[in-house]
Amino acid sequence: MPGLSFDNYQRNHFLTTRGYGQPTATSTGTTIVGCKFKGGVVIAADTRATAGPIVADKNCEKLHRLAPKIWCAGAGTAADTEMVTQLIASNLELHSLHQNSQPRVITALTMLKQHLFKYQGHLGAYLIVAGVDPTGAHLLSVQAHGSTDIGQYQSLGSGSLAAMAVLESHWVPDMSKEDAMKLCADAIESGIWNDLGSGSNVDLCVMEVGKDAELYRNHLTPNVRSEKARSYKFARGTTAVLRESIRDILDVEETVITFGSASVDAMEVDA
Amino acid sequence: MSDPSSINGGTAVAMVGKDCIAIASDLRLGNQSLGLANNFEKVFQFGDKTFMALTGLASDVITLKETFRLKNNLYNLREEREIEPQTLANLVSSTLYEKRFGPYFIGPIVAGLDSKTSKPFICGFDLIGCIDFAKDFIVSGTATDQLYGMCESLYEPNLEPEDLFETISQALLNAVDRDALSGWGAVVYIVTKDKVVKRTLRTRQD
Amino acid sequence: MDIILGIRVQEGTIIAASKAATRGISILKDTDDKTRILNTHNLVAFTGESGDTVHFTEYIQANIQLHTMRENDLELSPSAVASFVRNQLATSLRSRKPYQVNVLLAGYDVKTNTPTLNWIDYLGTQTELPYGAHGYAAFYCSSLLDRHYRTDMNIDEGLKLLDDCLEELERRMPIDFKGCYIKVVDKDGVRDITK
Repeated sequence: MPGLSFDNYQRNHFLTTRGYGQPTATSTGTTIVGCKFKGGVVIAADTRATAGPIVADKNCEKLHRLAPKIWCAGAGTAADTEMVTQLIASNLELHSLHQNSQPRVITALTMLKQHLFKYQGHLGAYLIVAGVDPTGAHLLSVQAHGSTDIGQYQSLGSGSLAAMAVLESHWVPDMSKEDAMKLCADAIESGIWNDLGSGSNVDLCVMEVGKDAELYRNHLTPNVRSEKARSYKFARGTTAVLRESIRDILDVEETVITFGSASVDAMEVDA
Repeated sequence: MSDPSSINGGTAVAMVGKDCIAIASDLRLGNQSLGLANNFEKVFQFGDKTFMALTGLASDVITLKETFRLKNNLYNLREEREIEPQTLANLVSSTLYEKRFGPYFIGPIVAGLDSKTSKPFICGFDLIGCIDFAKDFIVSGTATDQLYGMCESLYEPNLEPEDLFETISQALLNAVDRDALSGWGAVVYIVTKDKVVKRTLRTRQD
Repeated sequence: MDIILGIRVQEGTIIAASKAATRGISILKDTDDKTRILNTHNLVAFTGESGDTVHFTEYIQANIQLHTMRENDLELSPSAVASFVRNQLATSLRSRKPYQVNVLLAGYDVKTNTPTLNWIDYLGTQTELPYGAHGYAAFYCSSLLDRHYRTDMNIDEGLKLLDDCLEELERRMPIDFKGCYIKVVDKDGVRDITK
């Protein structure tokens, strides 16, 4: 069955009328940024995933690959950013195979915005799309309702204000690759320190015209957990066990039988 | 309390050790404050070294257990091999996301060893299938907050199977003792390259 | 405030279901039987929204009987019946107006000679129990059953324990539930032993 199934929708609505609320999905209360530089574009993200006030994942990946040289950073509902990205990545590959050419950033953006508009904002995906294609380097963004933006530098997510403060004060036209990387990392760091929904590390992706895209996973790790002061190992036998059952898994023995000449000869028909 | 995923109560946790994994759950099934059963296991086996724990609304736990049993059996017939933990994780993710706008009220955990490399793998999900890949531990259920505290302090990497058993057991036991909706017994699976050990723990009964 | 209670003993499963049919502040009937026989070794007892209850259980009854006819008198086992009922309720929960029916299934597996008691609520929660009840009866009787139930009880001992439960209910419940029908499912099938 293609598409999403709405089978449980009515049931859950019924449960809501019975006084049961909705549980919280994992959201990437996030800081994501992107910035163009001379001959390319760079995007960056923090690595914190939250479920309400709880940090669900301290080192998640918010940089998604749409095509080898088109990447996107996602904020909003984690499952939506992941799934919408996987879907568009598939369709983009089929599209480029069909067209017999490199996929373009604007194509990815159009596919994303048409998909998100169709769902009227119910898919909570907020994305910064960037990449290089035969028409050059591009930096674009798309919001859950389907609206899109183009810009030299962009930020999205709950930490976008903190990040934009850094981008606005330090961005200059035609930066070098190194300066752009530093600016993006600084913008994310500003989100990490000043926004509660963002934290942990900085992931970064550089896409340069005429070169392969480079992913810098955990480019900065300013929140490394310090070595524990002591070990909290328990003495073996601490936990009282009522019952135990053991299942031994045997290795499968493999015997290769080579066909004897007799049987092969018997099968020779053409000779 | 007015949330479908905390009507029945229940908790699960998984941890990675040295060339091994452990996955555990409590045994309580309740209806709000009333305990109904103390034999409701939430850990299910898919093949030799692949396990899945399901917490949340008991009706959905049963429905999904059966759904994945079906999908796993079909996979076995089609591929003529057992499903890898990685593959099961993606299957869980897409199955849950299919119900994006009318989700099952569950919090699954997948844990196991790769059949070829014996590399440990664990991951968790939210109710609409967002995968949480973790190197250390995954928690789920009504004692999630308590388990995060226990695991964050007790866990250390590269534990031997026997030490991992103690760590996961103590983390679970002490977490459920601070949750009114979990407890009433516990079960732990320790999975190594050539052995799966299942242990039922002695716990408080209040 | 309907009462349904079940106790599984060595040779069979005992079910008690209150006789009162109430609607608002009135008792309409004092001979209401809240059970249905599904096949020779399976009995269902039910509570919930009036209308839904009888409609649902008779639908289940018809389907189980149809199965028996189609399969040349091969009857569904208690665990198969339980799975079927659970699946129907779990599916119904996803419809516009779900059945609000809670059931206890008393069964006797003739292949393995084991009695069973299955507890299923309207959400599709299913569990196999030694003893169980739906509604307020569970709050009144659980402690009594926890204290006095033994796995090696026979039918007479089970009935004695059931009487103690019913006595407690009569003493503590704020309304008169007009006594109970008591039924037993064992190797010989279903029989009514209401006093």
